[in-house]
Amino acid sequence: MSTTTTVSATTQPTSSLARSSKFRAFAITFSISGPVIYCLVQYFNYPLVTYWPAIGRLVWGLEAARPNSGPNMLWYGWTLTTIIIAGALGIIAMLVPERIINKIPLWLVWLFPILAVPYVVYSLMYWWRLAARQ
Amino acid sequence: MSGIISTNTFWTLWLFAHLICALGLLGALTHQAMAVALPVRKPAAGIVARFRAVPAAGYATAVCALYVIVFLIGSFIYTQYRVAIRIPLEAEHYYKTGGFFDFKEHMAAIGLVLLPAYWYFWKNAQNPEYDNARKGVTLVLAVIVWFLFIVGHVLNNSRGFAS
Repeated sequence: MSTTTTVSATTQPTSSLARSSKFRAFAITFSISGPVIYCLVQYFNYPLVTYWPAIGRLVWGLEAARPNSGPNMLWYGWTLTTIIIAGALGIIAMLVPERIINKIPLWLVWLFPILAVPYVVYSLMYWWRLAARQ
Repeated sequence: MSGIISTNTFWTLWLFAHLICALGLLGALTHQAMAVALPVRKPAAGIVARFRAVPAAGYATAVCALYVIVFLIGSFIYTQYRVAIRIPLEAEHYYKTGGFFDFKEHMAAIGLVLLPAYWYFWKNAQNPEYDNARKGVTLVLAVIVWFLFIVGHVLNNSRGFAS
């Protein structure tokens, strides 16, 4: 697992953000919790906003189908909800003692997005069923 | 924009901007992914070795910025997709295409939330504690971006530029 040859030019991080242990806590917590929160938000359907592109209507929360309004879009709302919740968890993590944050396994950062894929595929069953009927 | 350019041209220009930024992101992230997956241990000789031998750490901020730009432009043109593209696709029974686009939107959001850790790991590339996590998150992001690009490309072939 050596990547030293490609990164050897780098010595100490030049950015103060990259040297900050608080930012480390925020970034790791945000990125680990983000994929999980996104799946939960999408499953329980908690969009922060609903957008109606045909009529340019933007409303808080979930707004179900309305007559003569065209399709609604929830993805913006799911993404915003995820960013807010993951951001809040990240801020909380900044307040937690560093020794506790250091115990979080870093491999969760890449494992959770992979584990999210089967759920995402399952959540799109509507499309796959329609395709199978053809 | 009415009177200056047509609605079709307006959205086509945004689609071009999305494509061009996505190409930059794809190139930078592929260089990085190759650099972490197959690091070069001696002076680069061939084109493949030189492709892998880039100073990958220097790409991190650009990758994050490009990801956000591509994401924002994609989010903007998504409104047009939902009305002018998806409805005809469904009417013509292109269900797999529609399904894969929704798959793409979910993966784009998941990729977005990985960026803070990705950036942090690369900015601390001298720290061996982050080697495995940096490699893992870079490869996952690269796979996500390739997936987004290929689905977007296929969708564009179905009903994209100037349609």
